[in-house]
Amino acid sequence: MTASGARPYVSPHDVTAAWSGAGGDRVVRVVVDAAGGDNAPAEVVRGALAAAGPQTHVVLVGDEAVVRPLVPVGAHVSIVHAPDVIGSHDAPASAARNKTESSIVVGLKLVHRGEADAFVSAGNTGAVVAASLLYVRRIPGVQRPAICSIMPCMPAPIALLDIGANAECRPEHLRQFAVMGQAFAIEVMGIPAPTVGLLSIGEEPEKGTPAVIEAHQLIAADERVRFYGNVEGRDIMNRLVDVVVTDGFTGNVTLKTIEGAARGILTALRSTIDLSVKTKVGGLLLRRDLLRLRGALDPEEYGGAFLVGMNAPVIIAHGSSKARGIANAVHQGRRGVVSGLQGTIARELGTRAGAV
Amino acid sequence: MTREEVFEKVKEILVETLSVDADKVTMDARFQEDLETDSLDLVELVMTMEEDFGIKISDEEAAEIKTVGNAVDFVMKRAEA
Repeated sequence: MTASGARPYVSPHDVTAAWSGAGGDRVVRVVVDAAGGDNAPAEVVRGALAAAGPQTHVVLVGDEAVVRPLVPVGAHVSIVHAPDVIGSHDAPASAARNKTESSIVVGLKLVHRGEADAFVSAGNTGAVVAASLLYVRRIPGVQRPAICSIMPCMPAPIALLDIGANAECRPEHLRQFAVMGQAFAIEVMGIPAPTVGLLSIGEEPEKGTPAVIEAHQLIAADERVRFYGNVEGRDIMNRLVDVVVTDGFTGNVTLKTIEGAARGILTALRSTIDLSVKTKVGGLLLRRDLLRLRGALDPEEYGGAFLVGMNAPVIIAHGSSKARGIANAVHQGRRGVVSGLQGTIARELGTRAGAV
Repeated sequence: MTREEVFEKVKEILVETLSVDADKVTMDARFQEDLETDSLDLVELVMTMEEDFGIKISDEEAAEIKTVGNAVDFVMKRAEA
């Protein structure tokens, strides 16, 4: 397997454009947590309305008295009343169990009962993970679900998992993440033959923590995974591989470091361009490329991260999501439903349930 | 249900829902130390037990369930009540 430096540029739009129309005429029902996120309910409802259509039916779950006035007559949207809200400070497991009238629990129960196909929330991430485990349930054989994020990279996006569902992971969990991440890259991102790397502190198999060293051996021995080997932090943005596997703590730190660095570089670039007429002219010439770069780095493009390993797609949107982010999260949910992701994971991990 | 039947049911939940290695599930097995389950797994176990045995388990009661034997005893006691 070779490094992928010569790949053509793939914009986020190239990835997401296929989502809204995925599955053709098949009607998919996506639940949207109308109470979740910093900009709920107005932006969330706006995003849901933008994504809804004859083939994508959106079920808004939240306080009906608040949500109803925001929805025009005739929209492909229905409303399910949930008076309670799980806040950002609520303890995830306890809230998921006890706040049974909350939008997150009511919405996930709709999916569990087969009354909806996918779930989107910009609310409390821990509570969404916990409630998904309790009500949507993991695919048999999956030991831990993982939050899989599409990382804005140049020239094309990659998948990074886990970015926060599991702070500590055993080697077998990381092997399962490799299998699920590969399936996600194929089924949701449309990468035909993705390569998988294990994040470590050196490319040699013996580099890393004991868990990472053992995980390397397990993944290397799994002939279904197109395993590149270990990758280092600096290789992520170089796009050495299509899928990067790590534990939730490291993944979260990695994601936020890259997001912060990218933002810092763009700010520095802008202030440099503003310095003089000469650089302003240069900046104008580069305008298209810079806008493309800004678009590629915008988390709203993908809408959210996918909780892989569950019986149905659960999309965890950024807490600060605006309408466009929510709409793209709904599209990602649709793509998750019509793709073979859940079936592939069940096939790959279900038959090896309990295997270590 | 007999104690053995309850144990088998709890074992089934642990193996099928939480992918715990069946050989490790004994009455003395501690959830966190021996079966390597985390706090979320335990919530999942408690909720599945509530569903399968038709009982209610409060958060305080759930916190006291630390071994497979504790879980079996709890179900037996609740069934008698």
